[in-house]
Amino acid sequence: MNYNLELIKNKKKIIGFSTFLILLSLLGILYSSFNTSYKKPINLGMDFVGGSELRIERVCEAECSNFSSDSVLKNLSEISKNKKVLNNIKLQFQNNNKLISIRTPYLSIEESNNLISNLDNIVGPLNYESKDSRLIGPKLGKRLLTNCVTSLLVSLFAISLYITIRFDKKYAFFALLALFHDLLIVFGIFSWFGIILSVEVNSLFAVSLLTIAGYSVNDTVVIFDRIRENLKSNKEGYNETIQLSVNESFRRTTFTSITTLIPLLSIILFGSYSLFWFSLSLSLGIIVGSYSSILLAPSLLLKD
Amino acid sequence: MKRRQGWLFFIIFLLTLSVYLLINYPLQLGLDLQGGSQLTLQIIKEEGKVTREELEAVNSVIDKRVNNLGVSESNLQTLGVDQLILELPGEQNPLVASRVLGKTALLEFRTQKEGTSLDLKTLQLQRFSIKELIEKYSNAEKSQYDDNFLKVIQDDLKEIEQELNYSSTSNDFYGKLIEIKKYVDKEITNLFIKTDLSGRDLINAGRRQEQTNSNWEVLLTFSTSGGEKFAEITKSIAGTNQLLAIILDGESISEASVGNQFANTGITGGSATISGNFTAENARELEVQLKGGSLPLPIEIVETNTIGALLGSKNILKSLYAAISGLIFVGIFMIFNYRILGFVSVLSLVLYGFFNLALYSLIPVTLTLPGISGLILSIGMAVDANILIFERIREELYYGNTLTRSIDSGFQRANSSIVDGHITTLLSCFVLFLLGTNFVKGFAATLGIGVLISLFTSLNCSKTILRFFITYQSLRQKNLYLPRTNFSN
Repeated sequence: MNYNLELIKNKKKIIGFSTFLILLSLLGILYSSFNTSYKKPINLGMDFVGGSELRIERVCEAECSNFSSDSVLKNLSEISKNKKVLNNIKLQFQNNNKLISIRTPYLSIEESNNLISNLDNIVGPLNYESKDSRLIGPKLGKRLLTNCVTSLLVSLFAISLYITIRFDKKYAFFALLALFHDLLIVFGIFSWFGIILSVEVNSLFAVSLLTIAGYSVNDTVVIFDRIRENLKSNKEGYNETIQLSVNESFRRTTFTSITTLIPLLSIILFGSYSLFWFSLSLSLGIIVGSYSSILLAPSLLLKD
Repeated sequence: MKRRQGWLFFIIFLLTLSVYLLINYPLQLGLDLQGGSQLTLQIIKEEGKVTREELEAVNSVIDKRVNNLGVSESNLQTLGVDQLILELPGEQNPLVASRVLGKTALLEFRTQKEGTSLDLKTLQLQRFSIKELIEKYSNAEKSQYDDNFLKVIQDDLKEIEQELNYSSTSNDFYGKLIEIKKYVDKEITNLFIKTDLSGRDLINAGRRQEQTNSNWEVLLTFSTSGGEKFAEITKSIAGTNQLLAIILDGESISEASVGNQFANTGITGGSATISGNFTAENARELEVQLKGGSLPLPIEIVETNTIGALLGSKNILKSLYAAISGLIFVGIFMIFNYRILGFVSVLSLVLYGFFNLALYSLIPVTLTLPGISGLILSIGMAVDANILIFERIREELYYGNTLTRSIDSGFQRANSSIVDGHITTLLSCFVLFLLGTNFVKGFAATLGIGVLISLFTSLNCSKTILRFFITYQSLRQKNLYLPRTNFSN
């Protein structure tokens, strides 16, 4: 109605832009696979490789005193009986020195309890009610990874099957192409996050990819439905009808994305820290998904 | 019109029911929201897959042990084909549980290899001296000890090591002692051959004080087939110098000979006694473990999550903020863009929230952080269907149709793409629920339930509410539905 996206004129630009994004993602994935310490396409977090994460708050009267993590580690190594715990340990102070966050390789419950009580002696008192500890054995990690990859493959297969039954071949092919485009770009962005910001991905990232897949296809289906409906009445030419259909669905698609982004944004702003990267990857997926549904997928349908 | 009114009453009825359910059946909160520990136990099987029977057997043993521990409100469930999840709510230390659960209490009966009598005697002596050393050392650690004492037992340890021709690798002294004891236990066990009689053949265990001295002994009662096996085994070694060993978790706790009088029939009667210098406490522990049954397969704790109660309540607050602010901003956005229609969608969103929560308490769905994020995310998706419909209604109005007709055909024409569009999301949820881990399942469940309910609220509820609204003359002006648009007619 009110919108006039010039899809036909800009077909080359749109496809060029998407190709650029895909190349950039592939570059990140390749760089991450060969040029980083972890040598994986993406920085796998402790859900997948095992390890321990401990977070605990200090009890401070007014402001928490300043400690350097190096000096704390040095003190720790002096009083710890079990030196194994201290190999490869990462310790950080956050929230104005109030929150201590520790990452180590996998610890047993006993080892992690000892570590925290030693820490209590150095920077205490600690508030045990605020403790958050996750200890994941390497065996479980490997399993989770296989599990996530299987889930992704199975659900992509199910979606592909559904789309192929639902639409004719050409539509199905381009809808799926748009879907893989979205997933690859979000994956690539997180590869880059891993390289630059050492962001790790956990099982929730895999969940977000699955959700993005469902969502992105949903968006494309709605637009393709519209195109099909308009092609039946066939008032104008093929390309013009596609462009018209996109413009007719434009408001719906952007509005839907906005109403989905709003709750995600509120999780990012107000929600628990453990949901931060999850919500971010979902948000990115929804933005890329709307772009590919509105611009990319229909452009691919256009005839030269 | 009559039918719509029926729907209206039905919706009001559902709403009342939901509120009733929520008041009477409070929502179950996951450990990340109420604080507590969650242990994932992995069943270890060297060869082949864990069968369903084995999984159930491990499950029931762990369940009995947890109950014997006196842990309140614990929750044990199986996960997949070879894992168990134990939840301990509140500020309970998972360490205690992990110690008891980690023990297999794997009871085995083994017969001695021929011609190993001398080796066994030596090892038994060494085991005795190392046990003595451990006892001395732990007693000394409680009080003050001088370097001289330490030197003496260190020399003793060295002597044993030399005899065994084994050097320990542990850093601290106590670790060395334990390591060598384990080594000796293993060596002793290696002198015995496995039989097919094990803790699985027990039907009961008990304890009693020995008549001759103050030591305790543990009584074992076998099942019928177990009793037969026991008779068979004892018959095979009766009168020889081969011993029968009772081995618990790889450590032989008793080695006994079988007298010649049993050479014909073996020891019948289906029971046996272990007398291995038990104190009253030790005997009770063993009795409890054996009563609970030994684990048919060893387990390993592969994951432990602990969340403090304070952090849990913080997580609830944060999620509430996120959910409410999400709802409010989506509401503002919808009312700004669709006026009356937007208001209708806000009302059906509120219904949507109530129905969702009521269903959680009915099924029941345990609410976790990922679960809440699934719910919040589904708010956006629930509005999606409304937007599809409202855009159609706008179009119809734009082409000059009457309000009632526009609303009717708006709902009708959007129907198919709404249902179609939700299927892909449901597919993802379904796969996630089938294959996902516990946490992921929570997300898939709430998102999936949300998508299903949103079909009802956005199609049926919003239509009913809208139909109710336009019975009022003052709410029938087109400009309440179409902001910033010029009409040609």
